[in-house]
This record gives sequence, C-alpha cells and structure tokens, in this order.
Amino acid sequence: MVKQILPKNLSEVLELISKEKYRFCAGGTDMLIQNHNLKTLPIDFKDNIIYTFNLEELKGITEDEDFITIGASESLESILENKITPQILKDTILQMASPAIRHSGTIGGNIGNASPAGDLLVPLYLLNAIVQLQSLKGIRSVLLSDFITHVRRIDLRDDEIITKIIISKINFDKHQFVKVGPRLSDAISKLSFLGAVSFHEDKVIDLRFSFGAVNITVVRRPEIEAQYIYKTKEELKNSVDELLEKYSEYIRPIDDQRSNKEYRKTVALNLLRNFIEEL
Amino acid sequence: MKDIRESILKTDGDEKISGQAKYVADIRMANMQHAITKRSTIACGEIKNISYPELPEGYFIVDHRDVPGLNVVKIIFDDMPVFTEKAITYLHEPILLVVGPNKEKVKEIVNNIQIEYIEKEATFEWKNSAVQYHFDKGLGKSIFENADKIIEYDYETGYQEQAYIEPQGFIGYLEGKDKVTLIGSIQCPYYVKNAVIQVLNATEENVRVIQPSVGGAFGGKEEFPSLMACQLACAVKKVKKPIQLIYEREEDMLVTTKRHPARIRFSAALNKEREILGFKIYCAIDAGANIGLSGVVLSRALIAGTGAYTIDNLDCSGDVFITNTVPNGAFRGFGAPQMYFAVEMFMEHIALDLGIDSLAFRRKYLAKQNDLTSTSGTFRDPIIMNEMIEKGMEISDYKKKRIEYSKEKSTKGIGMSFFFHGCGFTGSGEATHIKAKVRLKKDKDNTVYILVAAVDMGQGIRTTLRKVVAQILEIPIDNVIFDFPDTDKVPDSGPTVASRTMMIVGGLIGRAAKEMKKRWTETEFIVEKIYEQPEYIKYNDETFRGDAYPAYSWGVNIVEVDVNPVTYQPKILNTWSVYDIGKSIDDRIVLGQADGGLTQGIAYGYLEVMNHVKGVIKQKNMTDYIIPTAMDTGNMETVIYENPYAFGPYGAKGVGELTLVGGAPAVVYAIEQAINKRIHKIPATPEYILEMMNDGKNRL
Repeated sequence: MVKQILPKNLSEVLELISKEKYRFCAGGTDMLIQNHNLKTLPIDFKDNIIYTFNLEELKGITEDEDFITIGASESLESILENKITPQILKDTILQMASPAIRHSGTIGGNIGNASPAGDLLVPLYLLNAIVQLQSLKGIRSVLLSDFITHVRRIDLRDDEIITKIIISKINFDKHQFVKVGPRLSDAISKLSFLGAVSFHEDKVIDLRFSFGAVNITVVRRPEIEAQYIYKTKEELKNSVDELLEKYSEYIRPIDDQRSNKEYRKTVALNLLRNFIEEL
Repeated sequence: MKDIRESILKTDGDEKISGQAKYVADIRMANMQHAITKRSTIACGEIKNISYPELPEGYFIVDHRDVPGLNVVKIIFDDMPVFTEKAITYLHEPILLVVGPNKEKVKEIVNNIQIEYIEKEATFEWKNSAVQYHFDKGLGKSIFENADKIIEYDYETGYQEQAYIEPQGFIGYLEGKDKVTLIGSIQCPYYVKNAVIQVLNATEENVRVIQPSVGGAFGGKEEFPSLMACQLACAVKKVKKPIQLIYEREEDMLVTTKRHPARIRFSAALNKEREILGFKIYCAIDAGANIGLSGVVLSRALIAGTGAYTIDNLDCSGDVFITNTVPNGAFRGFGAPQMYFAVEMFMEHIALDLGIDSLAFRRKYLAKQNDLTSTSGTFRDPIIMNEMIEKGMEISDYKKKRIEYSKEKSTKGIGMSFFFHGCGFTGSGEATHIKAKVRLKKDKDNTVYILVAAVDMGQGIRTTLRKVVAQILEIPIDNVIFDFPDTDKVPDSGPTVASRTMMIVGGLIGRAAKEMKKRWTETEFIVEKIYEQPEYIKYNDETFRGDAYPAYSWGVNIVEVDVNPVTYQPKILNTWSVYDIGKSIDDRIVLGQADGGLTQGIAYGYLEVMNHVKGVIKQKNMTDYIIPTAMDTGNMETVIYENPYAFGPYGAKGVGELTLVGGAPAVVYAIEQAINKRIHKIPATPEYILEMMNDGKNRL
C-alpha cells in the first residue's frame, strides 16, 4: 500500500520528502487520470502521494517592479481571474481544457506533468519563467526550459518540491496565442503557437516564439529570435521564408491518435508565417 | 384540445437533473459479486494453454464450459460465441469472466491468468466476404450499354463510436432456484431475454430482463448487451449470487460495436442530354470479426443507395467483409449515413463534371409521390421536399451565400443535403420477425398503464407515449403510468431501434387507447394490440423487391462553415434543418432529437475520428475520441413540417435516425465549397483537408 499524506504545512512536506520518495498531487487533473482504477475502486497510485492543494505556502500571486510570482498550487482559474496576471497567460488559460479542469488544475501541476502538449508551458517558456524549488537544503531556482528535460521528465530531486513560478513583467506590442485542438474547447492540443513582438521606432526590440506539441517539449529558440532584433518591420516581413526555414529544423512533431506529423509541422509554420505577415 | 405537439415537461427531467435516476451501476445488492472479463491479447489465432493462479474461496472462473445451452449469442446472424472456446478472431475477444466478492482481488486474478496463444496472421484487408447482396431496378446494369458518358467515383467512410454517456453494464441475480434476472443498460429487453434463454437452455419463465435508467444508446445497446447478458447469466447460474458486470469507458470503447467503415463505388450512365439513365452502386462494409447484424446494415445502406432521388435503372450490390477487428454493429442511421454521404457527394460531383448547376440537377431527380423506390416499391404518401427545400433556402439565405462563398477569396462554404429515412424494420420485418404486441391496462382507480418493452434511453418515449395515451383518453397525463420495461410485466413490443418506437409501438398504443376510450365505463381491463402490416405493403427480402418501408420521413440539412486557411479547421457557423416527420408528438423532444442527431451527423462528417492499426483501436477514451461540444455546433434552427402518416399516432413517423443521416453530406458540401476541393472521404478532418489542399482535385 502506498502512503497518502495530507500535510498541514510546507515544512512537514520538506521533512517527509527528505526521508522518502513521494509524488505530489495538486489539482489531480493529470494524476487522477494517469492512476485511474476500475470503477468504485480507489485511485491506483503507484507511489507515495502528498496532496498539496491546501498548502498556504504554495498559494498566492504577487508582483514587484520586475517580476510576478505565482504559487505552484494556484489553479488555472484563479490565475485567469487575477488582475496581476499578464494577458499573454490569460489568453492561453482561456483556451485550456474545460472550466472544471481549470478550476482544479494548477500551474505547478502543468509544469510537473511536463507533457509535450501542456498548453501553459508555451507562454511560460516565452516569458522565460523560472521555477523555484525548495528542499530542507534550501531554495533552488531553475529556468523552466532547463527544468523540463524530456517528455514527462523534470529536473526535480526527490527531496524537492515546486513552490513558485516567477515570470518577468514584460509587455509586448503584439502577441498571439493559437491553440490548435481537435475541437473548440475541452481538448488536448494537436499543436499550439505563441508569437510576441515589440517595436521601437519601427525596429524590432523583442521577438519571441514558442511552439507546443511539436517536439519533446516547447520549442523556443532565443538564438533565432536574436537574429531579427533591430530589423525593421518590413525587413522582418521580408525574411519570413528564411525564418520559417530556421524553425523548420526544430519543429519535429510525431504521428499519434490525435493528428499527424505533416499537419502539425505545416500548421505550426503557417501560424508563424501568419503572425509575421499580419504585423 | 391542445395540439399534441405543444411541449410538456420531460418525464425524466427532474430525476436526471437531481441525480436521483438510478442507472445499473447505481444498484447495490446484498452479497453482490464483481465480474471482470479476461480478454485476448492477439487479434487472430488459437488459445494453446491457460494457466490460472490459485483461486481463493468464493472466486470463480466462468468460461465456455459453463454455458448450459448453445455457446452463441442470438443476434440476427448467430456467429458470435458467448465465450470463445479456442479461436481468437479479434483483439480483446472475451475469453472468460473472473467473479468474486472483492473487485481489487478479481482484478488481480484477471491480471495473473496467463494465456499462451498460437498466433496466426490476422486479416485486416477486406477480402473475406461473408454476405453478398445484389438487386436491380428497371434495366439494371444493361442501361450502361446505352450510355453516352459514364462517371464513376469512390467514397470512403470511417468508424463512428456511439459515445453514449453511460458505458455498458448489467447486474444479474437468481430469483428462487432457477430464474435468472438481469438488469441492464439496454435498448431491447426481449433481444436480451431471447438470447439468454438460448444460452441457458432455459424456459421463458426463467429469464427476466429489466431496464433501469439508460444513459444513451444510439444503437450501441441494440445487440451488444446480449453478449454481456449471456456471459453474466452463465456466471449467475454458476456462482448463485448477484453479480455486477460494468464496463470501464476504455473497455467499452475497445470492445463494443461501432459504425461500419464503408467503401462505396458509384457509377452513373448518362445520355447525350446529360441525364442520368442509371446507377451502379457497390458498397462494401467492414463487419469486424462477426457478421452479427452487418448484413442488415448493408441491406439498409443499399436500399438508401439513390438517396432522396429517383433513378430508374439500378444495379446495387455489396459485400460484408470479415476482418480480425472488433465487431461492428448497430448505430443510429444503420447503413444510411455511409450511403447518404456517398450518394450526395456523387450527385454533386456528377454536376461538377458536367459543368451544370448542381442544385437544379439534384432537384430534378428528387423523388416524388408515386415514384418507384430503389427496391421498385412505391412512395405512396405525399412528398413535400420541394416546399421544405424552399423553406430551408429562405431561412438560410442559401442562394445568396452560395454565390458569395464561391468567390475565390472566400473561406466560407454552405451546403445542403436531401435525405429520407425508412421508418421501422426493413421489408416485412415488422410483420414476420418482430410482431409487436402492446397492452394498455386500466385500473379500478382509472389509472392507465402502458405495457410495452420500449426503452427510454433519453430520447423521450416515457414522455411522448404517455402524452399520446392521455390525449386520446382525455385524462390527465399523471394518470398514465409508463414504468421501465420488465419482461415479466410487459409484452414484446419489439426493440427500441429503427426509428420505429413512436410510429409502430406508439401507433399500436394509440389504437389501444382508442378502444379503451370506447370501453371506458368498464372498471378494470386490458386492451392488447398486435402489429398488422398495412395490406398494400409487400416486400421480398430475398430479391430486395417491393416496399422496403411502410413510411418515410424526409429532411433537408443546411450547414454553413468557415475553414481557417492557416489551420484548415472547419468551424460550423450555422445549421438549418427542415424535417417532415409526419407529426410532432412533442416539439421540444423532437428538437432534442434534431439538435443531437444533426450534431452527431455533422461530427461524423468532419470531426469524429476513430481508426485501428492492426486491429488496435487508437482512440480508446473520450480524450482521444473527439465528439463536439456546444462550442462546435454553431447556431441551429429547425423547422418541422406536418405530413401525417395514416398508421402513426396523430400521423407521427420516425424521427431518431432521420436527424443524423443528412449531417455528413451537408457539412462536406460546405467544406468542399470553402476549400474548392473535392472530398471523397469522411471524416474530412483538418489533416485530410491539408492533404487535399496539397494534392486534391479542384472542385471547380
């Protein structure tokens, strides 16, 4: 029998995980599905479980001059409804799952699950999100793009827990999130795209793209983005073919029960082209 | 008196919204045992050896050795074993049940049973034909000798999953020593009863089937439940305790019947005046591992071969192919959705090839009263399709949009399908095969009981049948009782399928009510009615000749879409429907069927994807098998026309299936216009649209 713990506070959690291996269950919207059992039987957890939904230390959305900090157990719904939340995150959350899932699912859970199709990861990569991890040994901060190492694999030690997600406060002149799902709501993405750009006196000063569900994790290539800084809008538009070619190498989707490689790749690049052409 | 079509509150509304409705999985019995099915892990071969773990006391294995009677499930073509003895013909074929008091333990035993197989090469190609049909109308294929031009195209349709809310399930128990009672999520109590009688070798008195609340069926609970019921009945006989057998969602999606994939070839012989002389129609369907009722599906498909049109000369043929895949079966529409997609697209494609206006071309061939049907029967009743089409075009602004959307830059499209659906069983099925019997009972206190085996699976028959009786007897509807069917209490009024319940069963109930009214002063009595075929209806099942149906419902669906040029996703903007269903017995219930049926039909055309790879179903849960939400349906407008049928109650004809069969061609017409490509395959997903954009043939 696995242990299932409902802890009172974070220090209790840190004590527990310093001694024994546990997995965390926050909103449960992935964990309960992945460990589902036959009807009427209890959830078939394979590991010891700590429920984190009632930990005050993992709650709260705060801001200072440069950063917004979101507690790992904040639900998608409460992030969506908080006025501090940047529009770019809200746009994404609005297209995620169903109201019921948004009510329970958490930002920390979406990161911990590290699904290639995790929609929230797409804006978080774009915003250079930092994941804060805590253990008895102290606090560790990791860039989200380093934290997720592979499909459903994360750089989390057994004695650590995700506590906060920190994003820098940036406003873009234009951003566009497109979720391409099999239907208009309550569906897992076939792919997703987020583009964001800012200009100063007609020159690109910030340009970012991230793509979901077209590789093992979100595709974000800062080195490609950097090549277009200080280009004029016209120059950027004129180099759209070249830009697509550069991204093409990193858009490596798979065939599965939801879609196919060719569709995913073509549409991902179409969305990039469309974003640039409509600037 | 109020017009019967005025809506009343649905009988089951409160109990379902409040959560009080009891479904089979809600039933708990003292000493209830759990059954789980052990299934094959290969698609084709033989069982070589089974090794069992040690069974604790009170745990049982139930397999083919525990079948007292025939080890075959009575469907229409009896070729499905209750438990396989040796041969494995599809992946997840049921081999045995494990039964015991603790479900966790039962699950563990199932997982620890080791089965060795001798694997054989499975067949997934359509090459083993088990049923072949052929019939002609007029001159048959010889008309092709006179043809000035021949046009031929192929069409293909995929699986569709019923996706009822409630997965399949039963609970079974012994009453006394010998009587097996089964409560299950079913459409056809007497199908289940008769199947169990054969398997148990029991007497009629010793098998009882009861229906609880049923959470949707769509044909999926027509014949499949008989398999589960037969297995469970054998287990109940052996274990002698109440046993629950409830499928998980994934299990249900992997092993229960689905809509038959079809491949259809149409050839048209045309004369110099570019008129259709005749059609050759060939339809192949994939039955999966058993024939079951696939032959009937094929025959209904072929009968629908000319769609809503009259074509004078026909050569219709088809095959039911057996493959090592999950058996396919009944699904709302029953062969017609495949064929309507094909024939409607074919008519459009002929017009496009000839460079003529497709709407005028299609309307020219619309069936009229007294025309001969595809099986050389007669459309006896008035057909008001022209009026309905005009209405549909008016409320949708069809003509203007059709022109506007044909401009090159337009990403929108609008399409219109014409269709009918034959009501009731094919041919003489109602008279010779089903022989529906209904009873109406009047009590001392003037309460009237409807005694029929019709199942309310959400479609509303518990409301509408009571309405018919209350209205005829002029008594308050609360004085009319329609309890869930129990085969110990109700006669066999036939299965709840084939859009037959209101027209056939309701028609009989209506006639019984009229007789009851005449005898109302009698204190306590029963009126019984048995179906009699209208004398003029003659049909030969062997030759496919005569009146395949006593009556036809008709419809027009119009769908407007916008196809995103960046993502190739079709978005449904609006739909308009016009139906001739004889008479609406309750407008809101009819609209429920109209909205739900069209949504399911449109989704069949562009959204719902299910396929198998070497017999493995790839979309095995509701996350991967996508059905539309309210966000995907657009605005829906429905107009109901009255065109009463003499033998239906108040003139009512069938509704349930009619509302589904025209959805796919309407949406695909619209998508074709939006993308200016020809479509020959459904579902027309964004992936398929992309393929067409790259390599497809231009529409114009």
